[in-house]
Amino acid sequence: MRIGTARSSYRHDEALFDSRTQHAWLAILAVALIGFPFLADEYWLYLACLVAINIASTTGLNILTGYTGLVSLGQAAFMGIGAYTVAALEQKLGAPVLLNLLAGGFVAMLGGLVVGLPSLRVKGLYLAIATIAASVVLHFVFANWHAVTGGHAGITLVPAEILGLSFDTSFRLYWLFVPITILMVAGAANLFRTRIGRAFIAIRDRDISAEVLGIPLLRYKLLSFGLSSFYAGVAGGMWAYFFRVVTPESFPLILSIFFLAAVIVGGMGTILGAILGAVFMTMVPEALKLVVGWLPLSADATLILSPVRTIVFGVLIVGFLVFEPLGLQEIWRRIRRFFHLWPFRA
Amino acid sequence: MRRTVLKSLLATAILSATAGLPAARAADKEIVIGGSIPMSGVFAFAGIGIHAGIQDYVKMVNAAGGIAGHTLRYVPEDSAYKVDQSVAAFKKITSQNKVNFYYGDSTAFSKTINPELDRAGSMIMSGASFATELNDPKKYPYQFVAGPDYTQQFGILLRYIAQQKPGAKVAFVHSDTEFGRDPIETSRGVAKALGLDVAIEIMTPPGAVDVSTEIAKLRRARPDFTIFHGYILGPIPEFIGQARQMGLDTQFMGTFWTMDNSTVMQMGELAEGFMGVMPYNYYYDQSAPAPMLDKIRAMRPEYQNVPYIQGFLSAMLYAESARRTLAAGKEMSAANLKAALNSIENFDTGGLIGVPVTLRGNTIPVGRIYRADTKARRMVPASDWIVLE
Repeated sequence: MRIGTARSSYRHDEALFDSRTQHAWLAILAVALIGFPFLADEYWLYLACLVAINIASTTGLNILTGYTGLVSLGQAAFMGIGAYTVAALEQKLGAPVLLNLLAGGFVAMLGGLVVGLPSLRVKGLYLAIATIAASVVLHFVFANWHAVTGGHAGITLVPAEILGLSFDTSFRLYWLFVPITILMVAGAANLFRTRIGRAFIAIRDRDISAEVLGIPLLRYKLLSFGLSSFYAGVAGGMWAYFFRVVTPESFPLILSIFFLAAVIVGGMGTILGAILGAVFMTMVPEALKLVVGWLPLSADATLILSPVRTIVFGVLIVGFLVFEPLGLQEIWRRIRRFFHLWPFRA
Repeated sequence: MRRTVLKSLLATAILSATAGLPAARAADKEIVIGGSIPMSGVFAFAGIGIHAGIQDYVKMVNAAGGIAGHTLRYVPEDSAYKVDQSVAAFKKITSQNKVNFYYGDSTAFSKTINPELDRAGSMIMSGASFATELNDPKKYPYQFVAGPDYTQQFGILLRYIAQQKPGAKVAFVHSDTEFGRDPIETSRGVAKALGLDVAIEIMTPPGAVDVSTEIAKLRRARPDFTIFHGYILGPIPEFIGQARQMGLDTQFMGTFWTMDNSTVMQMGELAEGFMGVMPYNYYYDQSAPAPMLDKIRAMRPEYQNVPYIQGFLSAMLYAESARRTLAAGKEMSAANLKAALNSIENFDTGGLIGVPVTLRGNTIPVGRIYRADTKARRMVPASDWIVLE
């Protein structure tokens, strides 16, 4: 219990953010998010869009792996389904952007429900392998269903367009992607305050006990796969509008590992963890590039330091796993806890 | 420990925040070459050479006084051969510099960044990709390939085969990737037009190890020539080794990314007689006067791979395009730079390519067939230069 957060009504009790401090910080965050595009250059806006896409997908995987305890290495493939759906709808029908993104999410969701079926029989590493197999199958479909996917050459998209406004720059795409990602994150945060979300957590903690408690495993495991894939599909759709070229090689297995690493590094089973993990995994390689760029070195030294940078990134990930197994969100929680009692106790 | 971690994170955050400030550069008398260069990752073997090649040519031009009072400035960023990082590098470099030329690291990047190039209208681009798709000046008006595209590389090989053995049976062995499939469909028609018989087409996963089934198919087809494409090295040695064990008498051939001297020599004895197409002279080639190769050898006494030559030639073409644009008193826009590039005819590359070159469409359709000599540990010319019309 934090100081000054005595709950005096049911409404207050149900609120996602319940203290004035939180409201103040949220307001600051909102102002920062609104002001950022006007201050940042194209490079930082590009990274902001990429981070938004990665947060959406990582949040989806967190629902499945962090909250339901089902390990998946198929997130990139589900993103691929979403991306191809959006690209095909945009190219062949010229359907509206938001409808395309929703359709991308739903088609990926259907894919997730099919891929999720083995989760009723297997879990852990076995399930991870099953999802890898699904990724391979999906990659084959992307590469060979020429009529829809364009084969190996893939599909090139025109820029997203809403009410005649073309979303052809990172500045404009920022205003599309960031609100969508905020909606998705808020949706996930609320999900775990409902019966469905709590059922996911119960399955993660002990699936047999959950079934004894009356939670139908078939329904909830598939629902978790479906929701996770929906998030991946929408993220994939945003990815398609962002890069505007979708090929089978756009969504390799390494991307699924990237999202799994983001969930683990950020902190499994927390909304903030997925956000911090996605930001960390996307931004640290770029931050390391900046640091190397500032060093007074010749171009040759930059060349030598490139692989060193990759090693440092790896070491940072391992370091977090060893020294902070609960992830980045735990560091954040400690900082918050310090200030909860401040200035009475430091 | 925790406080140290927090301090480090805070420092990184502050550093990252201040990095957005645009770098103040004297851009008036500069020609900027940006580059998403794969200095790390799976393609680093090529990226390191490309980086050195561009860097050396820029140094050479600046040491000679620049171009019409302009100095060349090369701004590379590591892309790790990942599209998102390549695009990030592009955004970073172009938002902090007035870029005139750009070097991209892959076909995926070339396709992804094309709308940005069209929108910016201020720079032209080449890169590590030889994709046939890029050889379309309407779709890719501000891009070019510093050599023949993959279909043209096949065309050069097939023309050589048709000269050596009219009506020969040919096999295409390629990887199941965009890279691997690139020239296959169009090359069927080229082979037919040259009177060659495409006896079999075999597709494998990239880097496949077990090729026994494919070898059995190849043996049944009994091709006179077998062309590999879409690989760097694996599974080519496995194919050659098993084919020799089975007594299959076929001439194995490769395309650009297999044909670096060090790559071919990695095959050991299996490399003996291996042939392929190469649009450039090798670093060590002294069969004809090549002043530019002499300069390269003087600067770097150790062997430089073919991506080095490709990077060097790309920078040379950027410089020539800038030189012609400035000489005409025109603005350094993408349209003017590309028009200047397209005006290049019978251009002397100083021996990087053995014949004067002309840009046709978006490519330079020229190459020569080389054969591996494992005793000398070198690729040696097996044909004269072949120029496609």
